[in-house]
Amino acid sequence: MANDTSVSAKGGSTRFGRLRAYVADVPLLAWLLGGLVAVLLEQTVGDTLADLVGLPKVPVLFGCMIMLKEPTLIPSALIFVALVYGAPILLLGKLMARPGNWMADRMTSWPIAIPVVLHLVLLYAIMHFWADVSLYRMLTLRLTLIAIMLTLSLNLINGYMGEFSCSHPGFMALGAYAASAVMVLFFVNDRLFGEALLPEYLGPFIFPAALVLGGIVAALGALLIAIPSFKTRGDYLAIISLAFLFIVKSLFENLQFLGGARGIKGQPDYADLPTVFCWTVLCIWIINNFVRSTMGKALNAVRDDEMAAEAMTVNTRFTKMVAFLFAAFWAGIAGGLFAHTVRFINPGTFDLKRLAELLAMVYFGGLNSVYGSIVGAVSINLLGEMLRPLALYKWIVIPLLLILVMIYRPTGLVAFKEFDVRKLIQSKRKPEDEV
Amino acid sequence: MRKGLLLVVAILVVGLALSPCAWAKSKTIKVGINAPITGDIPKVGEGSKYAAEMWLEDIKAAGGLQVGGEKYMVEIIVEDNESKPESAAKAATKLITEDEVLAIVGPQASSQAIPAGEMANNYGTPMISPWSTNPDTTKDRPFVFRGCFLDPFQGPVVANFIKDEFGFKKAAVLYDIASDYPKGLAEVFKEAWENINGPGSVVAFESFTTKDADFSSQLTNIISSGAQFLFTPQYYNEVALIVQQAQELGFKGPIVGSDSWGSAETVKLCGEACYGLFFSTHYAAAGATGATKEFIERYEKKYGYTPDDVGALTWDALRLVQKAIEDTGKLTGNLKNDRVAVKDALAKIKEFDGITGKMTFTPEGDPIKCAVVVRISEKGEFEFYKSACP
Repeated sequence: MANDTSVSAKGGSTRFGRLRAYVADVPLLAWLLGGLVAVLLEQTVGDTLADLVGLPKVPVLFGCMIMLKEPTLIPSALIFVALVYGAPILLLGKLMARPGNWMADRMTSWPIAIPVVLHLVLLYAIMHFWADVSLYRMLTLRLTLIAIMLTLSLNLINGYMGEFSCSHPGFMALGAYAASAVMVLFFVNDRLFGEALLPEYLGPFIFPAALVLGGIVAALGALLIAIPSFKTRGDYLAIISLAFLFIVKSLFENLQFLGGARGIKGQPDYADLPTVFCWTVLCIWIINNFVRSTMGKALNAVRDDEMAAEAMTVNTRFTKMVAFLFAAFWAGIAGGLFAHTVRFINPGTFDLKRLAELLAMVYFGGLNSVYGSIVGAVSINLLGEMLRPLALYKWIVIPLLLILVMIYRPTGLVAFKEFDVRKLIQSKRKPEDEV
Repeated sequence: MRKGLLLVVAILVVGLALSPCAWAKSKTIKVGINAPITGDIPKVGEGSKYAAEMWLEDIKAAGGLQVGGEKYMVEIIVEDNESKPESAAKAATKLITEDEVLAIVGPQASSQAIPAGEMANNYGTPMISPWSTNPDTTKDRPFVFRGCFLDPFQGPVVANFIKDEFGFKKAAVLYDIASDYPKGLAEVFKEAWENINGPGSVVAFESFTTKDADFSSQLTNIISSGAQFLFTPQYYNEVALIVQQAQELGFKGPIVGSDSWGSAETVKLCGEACYGLFFSTHYAAAGATGATKEFIERYEKKYGYTPDDVGALTWDALRLVQKAIEDTGKLTGNLKNDRVAVKDALAKIKEFDGITGKMTFTPEGDPIKCAVVVRISEKGEFEFYKSACP
């Protein structure tokens, strides 16, 4: 019990602080195991349990939707969530803390790739079993992962580089159209492009190439903006990139061989969860490495003081160009995945509303931070779905949250935080425990 | 701390015992409405929602839906698609897998109906889009139907009507190239007109881009081309501008429109300039008779304005769903089989007597139905003028 007082003193006297202190020694590995057990539990006994507590079916997004729709079901939903998610994750996490820490310690001596892959496999398994329960979850999850890619790539420009770019939906459109055109041309019998040119079994192999092509097209588009706008300083990029967004939209509206205003439909269904997951992980990995490299630091230097950076031998123009094109490339890939998830695109999909949504995710989550991008994309996407029962009021609640975040944390929820994989997966055991 | 925990548990247990769903699962048929409640076209979403509410009232007044000797309660679930394609797909998937609806009505606009139809068809749920005119919505999708006629039908209707009514030879078209509906219809109309009057009879084929407000250069071209009339398949806000500017520039011929004119806003914005003009549409509110009149009067009384075509088409789509459910003869309780049964029943419907005309579905899921040519009267009402059938 003597231990208890010291913990509560460290974690603050609030109940939340105590909980935090209680789980402080749980490594990520144990959390993931707990999560895995929770989703497996939901899949096996979820229906029975839902029946038992009087829910019509397994609550799809942590019970939020059903609680808002039927306030009388709040207790049932809370019990369900506590039993299926809360208890297993907390108990198992705590129980596995020791072996988990031991394992994490062991793994520090191995090449970093092995523990990372192990964690990713666990994470994927959780997502897979979680989304397996309902097709709606599956679709929401895929779109959320794509949103993470978009947010992160936009954060590269708006956060790390400190410029204000408005052309992200345009890059997304370029990627989406390029990838869709290739895939529909080669693999779909379609009104627009006629008969499929290649046999269907080649599709999954060409798909990554089509996505990369989409990324490259988007990067080329970005080059068009980058050349004139990085000759100037300040707010010009915002204006030029906004103009670019309109140009792209109007371009696709007028390109009749790409469907014009009617858009392209019937993209083959290749953007399944494993594919989207792999691309998202790749995107986070590469962008995270980029921002932590010398180039990334140079980018931060340019943001903080361009003159000083130049004086310190940073090639500011080149740095900005590379980052901008790089961000556009990932936006293009995300656009391609988006097109193959929704399986329909038209120019109207990539308009100012999309821009507002992306900017909201970036600024909500936090500038200059990989964590922030993930938090922003996931929370805005999930909130958008969870608050569906509120109908119109959803559009009061979400903006209100945004305003609150802007007041109390002007740079976003988790801004300026470095994403260090080693730190994330390391053992959480405190040194004094080892004695 | 312990006391607090006990209290929470006690509250949860009491709440659990009182929760309505805990003890009885009643027999309910759920119908989903996938509508643009927010976004670009909220008026369309509102019309759909109101029509659905009225339909539900009718069902409730009848004590439920009679299927094979059993009464079922009906529940309507309205889902907002924010007039975004991916949101429409999400809403459709939610209705199908979470709310477990038997059938879906909506989305209305094609850019949402195409992705939502994909989901409905993949997951075997019948869906009727009341308003979508893009052929892709129902193409190769046995589970997807629509409630309105298609552009390839409407274009020739307008062309034939003008030929018969005025005997004109030279046509001008003004349309929004960036919006799929006007563009598609403009092209169909051009083809139909040239079929009647020979190539080159469309003397001006002018376009603009969404949110343009000044059409003087296009209209000047049209006037100098010597066109006898102007066909413009635009939405109400543009119609007002186009008609007023054309008359200011001295265009004398009639201006003709399509079903996108059929909103109460058209006359409100356009005023007297629009009186006496014609457009083709799904139904005429003024001078309607029978069930149509009854629907319009009920709607006006309840919501305070005349329903536009979306409301009427949604009403018909819901009645179609109702008829299909009744026609199945028996619901097994197995949702998957019941959905297939409803789809089959929908496909079999012949000569359905809707308030927007009689309908029979083609194998594609598109209805064969008549169009109405409406004249905007001197009182600003949409008057029935003529009907044109395939």
